[in-house]
Order: sequence, then C-alpha cells, then structure tokens
Amino acid sequence: MDALITAFDLPFMARALLVLVVLSLVAGLVGVLVNLRGLEFISDGLTHAVFPGVAIGFVWGGRDGLFVGALIAALLAAVVLTVIVRRAVTSDAAIAIVFTAMFSVGIIVVSRETNYVGQLDALLFGRLLTVSPAEVNQTVVVCLIALIIVGFTLKEQVFRAFDLEGTAAAGYRPLVLDILLNVAIALVVVAASSAVGNLLVLAVLIVPGAVARLVTNRLWLLFPVAAGFAILAAWVGLALGYEASVNGGVDLPSGATVVLVLVAGYVLALVLRLVLDRIGGPHRTRVVAGSAAH
Amino acid sequence: MVAASFAYGPEAALTGIDFTVSPGQAVALIGPNGSGKSTVLKGILGLITRTAGTVEVLGQWPAPAGYIGYVPQTDQLDPHFPVSLEQVVMMGRYRSLGWWRVPARADRRAVTEALETVGLGNRAKTRFGELSGGQQQRGLLARAVASAPRLLLLDEPFNGLDQVNRDALIETVKRLKQQGVAVLVSTHDLDLARAVCESVLLLNGAQVAFGPRDEVLTLANVQRAFGSVGVEMDEHTIVVPGHGGH
Repeated sequence: MDALITAFDLPFMARALLVLVVLSLVAGLVGVLVNLRGLEFISDGLTHAVFPGVAIGFVWGGRDGLFVGALIAALLAAVVLTVIVRRAVTSDAAIAIVFTAMFSVGIIVVSRETNYVGQLDALLFGRLLTVSPAEVNQTVVVCLIALIIVGFTLKEQVFRAFDLEGTAAAGYRPLVLDILLNVAIALVVVAASSAVGNLLVLAVLIVPGAVARLVTNRLWLLFPVAAGFAILAAWVGLALGYEASVNGGVDLPSGATVVLVLVAGYVLALVLRLVLDRIGGPHRTRVVAGSAAH
Repeated sequence: MVAASFAYGPEAALTGIDFTVSPGQAVALIGPNGSGKSTVLKGILGLITRTAGTVEVLGQWPAPAGYIGYVPQTDQLDPHFPVSLEQVVMMGRYRSLGWWRVPARADRRAVTEALETVGLGNRAKTRFGELSGGQQQRGLLARAVASAPRLLLLDEPFNGLDQVNRDALIETVKRLKQQGVAVLVSTHDLDLARAVCESVLLLNGAQVAFGPRDEVLTLANVQRAFGSVGVEMDEHTIVVPGHGGH
C-alpha cells in the first residue's frame, strides 16, 4: 500500500487530494447538519437544481463558465428551495417536480453541444484527476465561504434542528437560518461539481454525517468525526484508484472510487453499530440515519 | 393581545382574542382540543399569521429577542436527536450569547442553576431522548429558565406527567412568578390552573371568556367552551361526555 503515500507525489494526484480534503472538511460539517435536519431529499433536489446552471455556464464559457453558472444557479436554488419548503404543504412533491424539471433543462442545454456525451459525462461524474490549479483555488474559496457560514451559525443551526419553535421563541428567524444552511449546502454542491461531479456530490454531503451519527451520540463530536471520516475516505479512495490503475491494470474512475469507499465505510460503521448494540444494549434506534428521515 | 385573530393559510384558526397578562401573574388557556390554545402561544411567538388585532409583549411587537421563554410539548421533539440535557438547557443561553461565541463559565453556571431549579441537577449529561416525558418537560422548562425570560409560555405542560413531575413543575412556575415573570399556560388540567393561575382565558375557536379564574370557570362558561351541556366540572377536572375525563 505504498500508493497511500507515493501516489500523491504526482502533482495531479496531490491536487485531487487537496480538493477532496477541503471538500471533505466542509461537507463533513454541513453533512452533519443535513443529517440532523433530515435534509437529504432537499440536498438531492439542490444537486439537480444546480445542474442547469453548470450546463449553461459550461456551454457559455467553458470550464470557467461552469463554475460561475453553478454558483448562480446554486444560490438561486437555495433561496427558492427554502421558500418552497416554507410555503408548500407537500414539500417533497414540490421539490421533486421543480428540480427534476431543472435537471431536464440542463440536459437539453448540454445536448446542444457537439461533444454531448463527453461533456455530460464530465458534468455528472466529475474530472477529479484533471482538476486545474485554478479550479483548486475556486473550490477552496467556495468551501471557505460555506465553512464561514456554517461555522458562524453552528450552535444556532443545531438549536433550530432540534426545536424549530423554540428557536423562533428565542428570537431567531428560522427562515434566515434555513436560507443560510441551504446556501452552504448549495456552495458545497458547487465546490464538488467539478471534482466528483453532480451525481456523486450527494454521497460526499450525506454519507459522512450518517456515519458520524452511527459512531457517536455526542453532539459536538459529530462534526470532527464526519469531517475526519470523509478525509480518510478521500485519501484511501484516491490511493486505491491510483493503485488499481497503475499496478492492477484496472482503470477505476477516481470520483466513483472515493464514493464507494465512503459507502463501504458507512456499511462498516453500520455493521459495527449493530454488533455493539447487540452486545451492549441499545445505544440508539435511528440505525439507518438517512432513510429514517422520510 | 387586543382583538387578535390568527389563521393558518386562508382558514381562520382563532378570532377575537383579547387579554392581558401582567408581570408576576399567570393566565391559563383552557378549551377543548383544537380550540386554539396552541394557536394563541404560536401567535405570540410570531409563528403564525395574524389577520387582525394587535399583539404586544411588554409594549413591543415583535417581542424583543430573549423576552419570551417557550416550553413546547415534548412530543414535538425528535427523541433520537443526539443532545444531552445540559446541551438542551444551554440552548436557552444562545441568544444572549450571540453568534459565533461559545458558552462561558457564567453560561454554564446558569445552566447548572436552571437544572437545579427544576430538580434535574443529577441528569445533566443524560441524552435528552432517554429522559422520561416528565423529565423532558422539566428540562425544557429549565431551558426557558436559563434564558431569564420576562414572559413564559407553556404548552400543555402537564401532559403525561406523574405527580412528582407535576409538583416540581408547579413549584418552578411559582418561583418564576415571584421573580416577576409573566406566565401563559395552555392546559386542560384545572389543578394546574388553580395552583398557579390568577386568570383564565376560555377558548373555543374564539374567545369565550377572560377574567379572574373563579369568575370565568363557571359551569355555564365551560359548557359553552366545550360545546356540550353534558359537560361536568369539579375541583380538578372537566368531564366531557363520551370523551372520558380531561
């Protein structure tokens, strides 16, 4: 397993690792809030909503345009989404309808391009190993903004997740907190789009938070556990993909490999949790953290 | 609250509410299920649309941050949420703490004192969801106490509580009243109303009566609120035919 170290001597591998580490750190924090709030489905909606922005930006200005387009779409979607959820009685249906429609718009836009399949592939699945230094900078800046938003409001976000009415009674405006969190989620989606692609963002956002819930019941431990787990999975996933490609002759797509390592980690945590619960009595009941939200 | 009406969406939920609660005094909101007791509380919190009238908390609207302490019904909270009791109580300090800042020693002391006040000093580290319903209710009361409110709102605080927890709750509310806190409590338990409330607001989708407790809680008024002439009332409970005791 030399690959865990040596693989990152290569500049493109080091860049990929840097992007994923920054992303993991932020996605870990945001992901815990997504888990506590049960926002998995809304996050899924956001990734769909960002896609037309990514596509239009890409068609309009190439790889640089992609980023700007994604950013605009993400911020717009985050605000619209927050309001829809507030207003709509059946918010799940509303989210599903609006955002699958937007996803379709994105696909139609991309399909106008000549090199349609290749472009779509890059947008949906990312190009982790061909991330440029400029894209690394963009990712870091966007992640930093998301980090500041969430860090600044972290205890209030937890309060709101636990008790909406209590938050309002204390004099907070839940709508503002909701918009801030959704904007942070949207920023993570944007930051991750060029690296792991639009479809796999969701895994980076949701799996670490779910793992943290399985590992600990202590509130303030959730955040470092989620971020730490995500970083570990990114590291192992990248090295694994590299090892398989270079020494194993199997060309593994790096983004998907990282996601599979994340999911494998989740399965491992789930099994361990079930075993520990069986030995030591019930530690928790919300075992499958993601699915219980719906 | 003067001539206030509230609505969820287009449908009027509650109309013509007109009452006052003074510092150190308590008002009981009494009425059948769905009569608008929680609506009054949510109206004061600004959580639902007010369609008419005015609401003021200490002469201001919206209520200044930190003026209101709210004790929700515990069944509205996720029992699996990974917070300890003391973390829940600390939430009562967040607003005065401000954004970004982490709790200081004074905040931790306030939390400890609030937990002592409700008699849960030894359960601080317990996960909130593992506490009994009555202990959770007292924990939420401790959260309100820790925020040092001027107005305390309690939503059905006696639901599912045993006698020990009821007594602890009543004692805490009495102590807060002595400190000049105004209290508004929705309940269908007359024991609670008699123990801590000077006034009663009787509701049934609209205001049936408001005034001093013993003047309002007449059989005729209660029968009007509960919409049934078969309603009976004794020292402790209101009995609605077909629904068992309340």
